[in-house]
Amino acid sequence: MLLTSVAVYAATERRRSPVVALLSIIAAAAGLYFTWTPDHATQVAMWAGVGRGVDLVLYIWVCISLIVLLNLHLKLRRQMELVTVMARTIALAEARHRLSEKAGRRRLPEAVRDR
Amino acid sequence: MRVWVVIAAYNEASVIGRVINEVKRRGYPVVVVDDGSSDRTADASAAAHVLVRHPINLGQGAALQTGIDFALERGADVIVTFDADGQHRAADIEKLVQAIRVADVDFALGSRFLGCSDGVPVARRVLLKAATLFTQLTTGLRISDTHNGLRAMTRRGAGVVRLRQNRMAHASEMLSQIAASGLGYIEVPVTIEYSAYSLAKGQTIGDALMILLDLFARRLYR
Repeated sequence: MLLTSVAVYAATERRRSPVVALLSIIAAAAGLYFTWTPDHATQVAMWAGVGRGVDLVLYIWVCISLIVLLNLHLKLRRQMELVTVMARTIALAEARHRLSEKAGRRRLPEAVRDR
Repeated sequence: MRVWVVIAAYNEASVIGRVINEVKRRGYPVVVVDDGSSDRTADASAAAHVLVRHPINLGQGAALQTGIDFALERGADVIVTFDADGQHRAADIEKLVQAIRVADVDFALGSRFLGCSDGVPVARRVLLKAATLFTQLTTGLRISDTHNGLRAMTRRGAGVVRLRQNRMAHASEMLSQIAASGLGYIEVPVTIEYSAYSLAKGQTIGDALMILLDLFARRLYR
């Protein structure tokens, strides 16, 4: 169930983070395959020097967790880019406002300006 | 030709006033982008023609992009980026602007290795050479210096620069955007005056690794 949900999660992320989605799908597919065919998992585990098939599935799960962590990091970066756009808009608007105020003050007659 | 000088500043209260005055003495309008400083950088920047203040600290790349956007809005024909820590010489601005005019290119990039920049510490020199090699390999640009904050760009050049790397990786990002744009560029010898202050503000090997990670991470999403 967990591995299937990872695959679904990866599919939903494929537009925003294609690399992360691809890695997640590969890892989830490998995890699902080895969970369904424990004999193959044990064979591959022995070949890889891991020992038991269940350990291999566990390692795959750790890989998936790291990939999801990477994706969260990328999401934070995207959020930061949005914050940057917002902060820039505010900063530029304030600068424009200050400039127009300054220009307005310059245009006003001295008596009005001093009030 | 309307030239605007963009200075991104973060906690530079002790030097920014002098830097602004040096640039202004050369007759260039200055826009200072105070990147959410916690010291009195904004007050010390009173001499600037325009002060743009980020409400929070975003990073030098973000501040430069804000300054470039502002200068474009004001009708700048050439935009020069200039460091706030006092390591650049205002006299070099004219050399960059002149290079753009004479060579008819869109970017003039300052190079400390073509110019006279004595006192570059050995570790810094090695780091910069490695960064330059990396930039040459990844962008194909034939340049001798990278991460040099003194550069000039035409209005057309500024139009292709869209910095999304908020922090130090913006310099590499800008170079790859220049390479991708296919617009002309030229390197101009400039002088970097190292001081204890500017060295303390400079990049370390740890920063270089962060830059590599930032550049890599940016390729992983749209």
